[in-house]
Amino acid sequence: MSFWKKAKENKALKNVLIFLAMLGPGVITGSVDNDAGGITTYSVAAATYGYPILWTLLPSFVVLLVVQEMNMRMGACTGKGLADLIRETFGIKVTFWIFLGLLVADIGNTATEFAGVAGSMNIFGISKYISVPLTAGAVWILVTKGNYKISERIFLMFSVCLLSYVVSAVAAKPDWHQVGLALIQPQIQFDKDYLIMVLGIVGTTIAPWMQFYMQSAVIEKGTTMDDYKLALADVIIGCVATVAVAVFIMVACAATLHVNNVVINEAKDAALALKPFAGALASAVFAFGLFVASIFSATILPLATSFYICEAFGFNAGIDKRVDEAPQFYALFASIMVIACVIILIPNAPLIAITLWTQDINAMLLPVVLISMQLMVNNPEIMGEHVNNKLQNAVGWSTTVVLITLTLLLLVIPAFDLFKAH
Amino acid sequence: MQLFVYFSQIIGKGILDSQGHRVGRLHDIAMNPNSDIYPKASDLILRRGGLVREFARVSWEDISHIEKEIRLKITGDRIKFFREMPKSDFTLRRDIFDQQVVDIDDQRVVRVNDIYLLRVDNQLYAANVDVGLRAIFRRLGWTGLVDLIVFLINPKSPYLTQEELIPWKATQILPKLGRMKSVLKLEVSKNKLNSIPPAALADIIQDLDLFARVTLFKSLDGALQNQVFTDMTLAYKVELIEQLGEEEVASLITNIPADEATDLLMKLPREKSHHLMGLLGTETNKKLRKLLGYAQNSAGGLMTTEYLYLRSDARVADAFQKIKDNINFPGTIFFLYLVDDDHKYLGTTSLRRFFNVDPQGPLINTCYPENIHVYTDDSVEQVALLLERYKSSSIPVLNKQDILQGIITIDDVLEELISLAWHQYKEKL
Repeated sequence: MSFWKKAKENKALKNVLIFLAMLGPGVITGSVDNDAGGITTYSVAAATYGYPILWTLLPSFVVLLVVQEMNMRMGACTGKGLADLIRETFGIKVTFWIFLGLLVADIGNTATEFAGVAGSMNIFGISKYISVPLTAGAVWILVTKGNYKISERIFLMFSVCLLSYVVSAVAAKPDWHQVGLALIQPQIQFDKDYLIMVLGIVGTTIAPWMQFYMQSAVIEKGTTMDDYKLALADVIIGCVATVAVAVFIMVACAATLHVNNVVINEAKDAALALKPFAGALASAVFAFGLFVASIFSATILPLATSFYICEAFGFNAGIDKRVDEAPQFYALFASIMVIACVIILIPNAPLIAITLWTQDINAMLLPVVLISMQLMVNNPEIMGEHVNNKLQNAVGWSTTVVLITLTLLLLVIPAFDLFKAH
Repeated sequence: MQLFVYFSQIIGKGILDSQGHRVGRLHDIAMNPNSDIYPKASDLILRRGGLVREFARVSWEDISHIEKEIRLKITGDRIKFFREMPKSDFTLRRDIFDQQVVDIDDQRVVRVNDIYLLRVDNQLYAANVDVGLRAIFRRLGWTGLVDLIVFLINPKSPYLTQEELIPWKATQILPKLGRMKSVLKLEVSKNKLNSIPPAALADIIQDLDLFARVTLFKSLDGALQNQVFTDMTLAYKVELIEQLGEEEVASLITNIPADEATDLLMKLPREKSHHLMGLLGTETNKKLRKLLGYAQNSAGGLMTTEYLYLRSDARVADAFQKIKDNINFPGTIFFLYLVDDDHKYLGTTSLRRFFNVDPQGPLINTCYPENIHVYTDDSVEQVALLLERYKSSSIPVLNKQDILQGIITIDDVLEELISLAWHQYKEKL
């Protein structure tokens, strides 16, 4: 009797197998979340403030979980993507502005991912003029020649690679007792830079485009409300993995860079700075993690963005279509990739300004997307009997309000700064 | 007065009562689906308030005119507003505007950007739906600007003159989760989809989201359901039957060609397929159980047990009668197989071979001279080779004792070979 047959007869094992088959959307979305931008924010925050800033990851986890559960439920219940639902519920004008914002932000995000590729490869001594075009070519081939199943497998492998940060963290020999305490005891400082950093951490965890991606992945997987429990488990595992990886990144930086007062501006700096304190292995592994995360998100971001836009405006879309069948889709995908690559390859490109602008656009989009989601998930015309219950609504709306307040602060604080300067 | 008006031009417009007081905005238009070819507007749905919205229904008799403004014949205090949206079977904004519909003529799923309304005697009819790019710009209010840019780049661009309109009679609205029952009541759906060839309909259904797929499929009549289901790809079949009731699934499996049914049963988890087999009639059950015993790419796995056969002593006239009796037979009726009392295979004849022969003559004399056949465990390549060598379009399958088990027709082989070739092609890439 083969292993599979045996496994199928064992009830417990069978459940595990069913579960593994359901695994995917949540875990992948969670991993895309730890992209180049995320790694940068986490390492800069930890290098600057040390262990005490770790607590921010717990509220981030709750928010991530609440938002992703809603996306999963909407996808499973309606079988429609978030872009479809927004277009059908709020009409073309709202849709147009949301997607214009999303497009601009995602070009910026993609540029950040390629900056991550360039930075990490730089550590291994490869020039960005080689690494960036090669990576873009590989992404193009994966997208045009692959199919969902193959891509999903490659992506899941990527997700496993992100565990390399555990190696970096362990090599940094942190004080685990202190790490544990810092996670559960919030130590809040009331100065401006600190607040911006906290907002940055929460904000990088909940990017607007993720909601679109998550819901499409759920549909692609064919999840329905019958699979709700398994899909929920997938979402929870995805969120736990995301936050766990973030913890390890922050621990690695806090245990070495913060203790030794090293100031950094980029994720690449973190990888370089790790070398004298935690050894060459920890540094190389950190850089490898950054590379994997960047290439991973550089694949998914442009693809996902072109897909939603076409979905919302009724153009043919999907990697299973030929170029002449879905011209708008491929045109969008190619333009996002090309613009992002060009931005990175221009000598002395204002990368930090681009990153900041992208964060601001994301911050403005987030409230719009979250409010739309809340309105739709409470609409029985869309959700049938699966509308939010009271508890889900309480958590959902308070999450939305908190996030909107945070984002407004993020937008307002720099403005105050300008004010003071004059 | 314009003959045509776009729905986007009147939606959200202010509504004045008979005294000229503003009572609300136009939120939606309820239609009467059963009127003529074009559905006629039956009620206006009004909206007022910002955060706390209230809705009201005004019937068409109470409307004075719809021009630059919408004016009612009644006073504002006669309109009753409610928190709940008034119930209607079919409304423009909810069911069509910005929604996906099926374009019956081009057999594809499209998203509606605008609705073209025809105005006759102060009545509104839905005439066309607009799925063009230009409609998107019109709704954003950029028509002039975009037209100018396109004109400057290419004055002859088809964008400027061609509207992508789909006539109402070729538009099929799709069901939605929250109100499945009301949409199913619309009998319109059935007639329209029936005019699409089953293979194209299968493609359309596969393009839809899961929920619309199930509802639309259920709205088809039985015979069409069987054909469409047969034409769907295996993965979609598996997904669809998960959403259907047991009896529906059993009926589908009984009524689609036996080889398609076995492919499906083999794809399902063992427990599920066992359970389904239990629900089938004994005849189907026996037939499928036999096919399920063979490897998928062997002759046995490929064959169908649906074929016409006669005893060795049959006359030509019996063959004609057999064909007449089985004119609706799902398998091939052009080939007849001759067997002895133990169902041992003796020969194959075809309509072409006995058509001009004396009806009283023995049928066995019209059999093909070469006795070509395969055995159940022969490979699909062997089957293809024989069919090609003898330029035949079907071949009998025997077991080791030469008992006739089934036949393979060329389309089944083709399907298998194409998927093989496709895999090899993919690997090369």
